Amino acid sequence: MTRLRARVGATAANLILVAGGALFLAPFVWMLSTSLRPIGQSLTLPPKWLPTTFDVSNYQALASQDYPILRFMQNSFVISGLSTLGIVATSAMAGFAFAKLTFPYRDILFGLLLVSLMVPIQVTIVPLFVIMQRLGLVNSEWALILPALLGAFAPGLPGAFGIFMMRQFFRGIPDSLIEAATIDGAGKLRIFWTIALPLAKPALASLAIIVFTLSWNEYFTPLIFLSSTNEMTLPLGIQALRPPFGQGSSLVLAAVAVALLPVLIAYLAGHRWIVESFTRSGLKD
Amino acid sequence: MSTRTTARQGRAGREVVAGALLVTPATVGFTVFVLVPVVLTVYYSFTEYSLLSSPRFAGVENYTSLVDDPRLRRVYLNTALFTVMAVPLNVGLGLALAVLLHRKMPGVVRQFARSAFFFPTLVGLIFVALIWQFFFQTDSGILNYYLGKIGVGPVQWLSSSAWAIPSIVVLDVWKNAGLAMLILLAGLQGIPPDYTEAAMVDGANAWQRFWHVTFPLLTPQIFFVTTLYLIGALKVFDSIVVLTGGGPGDASRSVVMYVYEKGFKSFDFGYASAISVTLLVVIAAVTLLQFRAARRWVSYD
Repeated sequence: MTRLRARVGATAANLILVAGGALFLAPFVWMLSTSLRPIGQSLTLPPKWLPTTFDVSNYQALASQDYPILRFMQNSFVISGLSTLGIVATSAMAGFAFAKLTFPYRDILFGLLLVSLMVPIQVTIVPLFVIMQRLGLVNSEWALILPALLGAFAPGLPGAFGIFMMRQFFRGIPDSLIEAATIDGAGKLRIFWTIALPLAKPALASLAIIVFTLSWNEYFTPLIFLSSTNEMTLPLGIQALRPPFGQGSSLVLAAVAVALLPVLIAYLAGHRWIVESFTRSGLKD
Repeated sequence: MSTRTTARQGRAGREVVAGALLVTPATVGFTVFVLVPVVLTVYYSFTEYSLLSSPRFAGVENYTSLVDDPRLRRVYLNTALFTVMAVPLNVGLGLALAVLLHRKMPGVVRQFARSAFFFPTLVGLIFVALIWQFFFQTDSGILNYYLGKIGVGPVQWLSSSAWAIPSIVVLDVWKNAGLAMLILLAGLQGIPPDYTEAAMVDGANAWQRFWHVTFPLLTPQIFFVTTLYLIGALKVFDSIVVLTGGGPGDASRSVVMYVYEKGFKSFDFGYASAISVTLLVVIAAVTLLQFRAARRWVSYD
């Protein structure tokens, strides 16, 4: 009796998970279906969840000169790509130093970095704007890339996050390994380059996927620093060029579908690994 | 450490150089783009400063204006309301899903459910808000269509002051609960099965096992997720910009939206900085309170 009840319960729980999961994905399916309908049929009720036509006129309109989505995409790729490179490189370097080297002010510096995790960029945005203005970087992609190359922040992520994550990783490398290489006469920089870095490849890849995804999605910092249409990223440009509600609705959905594409492809290609990366990112041991 | 004796002082010196080289880029970046801006935010908050003029010391003028500003009270109330709804719902749903997933089940079901609930987390808030605006429309919206079928509504999701913030919460939970689920699921998987098995032998039912064994062991992850979502909720911005623009009136305007308006539409840098300082204080206070409370209810063994 209790076994029967347990089995019924388990089946019910599985059903809840499957139905709930379908419900969570439904908005994306609807977006894709609606983007494949002519512009006049985008808001029909009852809602049609699955594609009724495979009309690509919205996508053709996007590709035309009037809507610079390719420009947005290029800007997004450049900013997210270089930001990822910068954060990954500086985090690996600083993370290794904080984990494995002894130098003056190390702990004070690391403490300050940790505290900075509590200071969201939204709070310091006014002086950041002033600083970028002085540097002549307002309305340039470099306003977003430069802080990432120096490990301060990527769009959507404080740089200290990466340093902290990599420090945790490098702490896991046994000291004996470093000692052995030191006795063999290797300097610390060489140990970093030839021993620690190759071991850190999976962690670096996880960090890269997190930084890239968050930069790709970031709206707030591009909104502050980029103003001309030509410089805009995908989230900023799609929101800025949004036609009044009701007109061109399916065009917006097609633009969103295009913006989602890289995330979707990456997820389908390596979802198990991405899930692992994000899970690990949340876990401080 | 005992190996590092006088004979190795040269090596220790080179270690200092290596350390300095490796942390220099991040230290420069941190100083210029994090530390200096924090100090300047506080400084600007005591000045009158606009795009055209340089900062002029004004004492506590901005702060006295803040105290009398009814809009500041409004945006703080809105942000607080959003936070007290969004954080428990995100963590609660994440926990429920994690518990449901932490069972024996067909691999297909597990993989599908985990991916489906997590996928919205990977997609930008701007993008999903652009999709959800179609669901929230009063007359042509998809939610009201189905609610109408069961005789409810029409609900003015985005255009009434009562529903604007709850609607933004709905979007937020749909988008973000998946990350809480993943982190808590990893926590559950880290609990050795012996604990719950021992409780089962002692005759504890499923609920007792969860409440007295699993939950206490999961408190570090719950604490971490709560802190993460708390700070996130206090910064809410993107979804409101797309869905309601802060309206109707100021009914759903958040603190960060107000900072943005004052700083980058009115270019009142001094006043915007003063609002920023209050937000910084609130975030610091909330985080510290969290950590103090955690000492009482989080068990780390």
